[in-house]
Amino acid sequence: MYGWIWRHLPGNAWARAFISLVLILAVVYVLFQYVFPWAEPLLPFNDVTVNNQ
Amino acid sequence: MRVIVRTFSELCITIGALIVLFVAYILFWTGVRADGAMSDQIDQLHRQWSKGSVQPATRTSRDGTTTTRVTVSGPAPYHYGRPFAIMYIPRFGFTWNKPVAEGTGRDVLAKGLAHYQGTAQLGQEGNFAVAGHRRTYGDPFLDFPKLRPGDAVVLTDGTTWFTYRIDKGPYKTVPTDVEVIDPVPRTSGYTRPGRYLTLTTCDPEWGHSHRLIVWAHLDSTRSVEAGEPAALRR
Repeated sequence: MYGWIWRHLPGNAWARAFISLVLILAVVYVLFQYVFPWAEPLLPFNDVTVNNQ
Repeated sequence: MRVIVRTFSELCITIGALIVLFVAYILFWTGVRADGAMSDQIDQLHRQWSKGSVQPATRTSRDGTTTTRVTVSGPAPYHYGRPFAIMYIPRFGFTWNKPVAEGTGRDVLAKGLAHYQGTAQLGQEGNFAVAGHRRTYGDPFLDFPKLRPGDAVVLTDGTTWFTYRIDKGPYKTVPTDVEVIDPVPRTSGYTRPGRYLTLTTCDPEWGHSHRLIVWAHLDSTRSVEAGEPAALRR
């Protein structure tokens, strides 16, 4: 999987390393901004109120 | 065969990294975000109060549409998601102060303490009920079990200091026990209508099977011009 991505990146090793870093940061950003806020309510830490549900 | 093993191990590493990132998000990032949002709200409240406009200028309801203007005597109605008071609890430390906003939605709780909609307004007859996170989102009610009868819970709405004194708690109950935020909560020991305060959070610390409750009564009020109430002075 990662080998496949590496082979398909353009440029020499330095350029590939740089692009990989950017890709990793982009993935982390998407996770923190969108995926984790969505997944977080599935965990119990949010239930601090009394209600009828 | 080699490809399968390699792909499988790469998948495992990816999942492991995802879990580590998620834990970092829950433990650390929600706190960073919440602390930022809470200090922003406190600054905003102080700015609003220093300008003398205690009542918010525009009013929008939860779905973004404007609500009809209601004329009632007493304090202005609260608006969903908008902070209206700052809470101080000396037991949690003299630097502990959090904004209180209207509504107990997830989005509100992510930015501070949340006032139950439909319960009394600050300092008014009835039960002023507030919920807060015990863990994550800045851990506002982390030390909740340390509260004891006699402890002060001080709130200000920009014009008045309200000092509540805790009478009972922490009391452990189940999440469906909505009677704890009744105007006169039965299990609190109060028998007559009065000006009460209820705080709720989750229990155990990382779980959601129970709730912890404390009840307090309004002990004294003081105008902001008169300075901080005794409970806040060191």
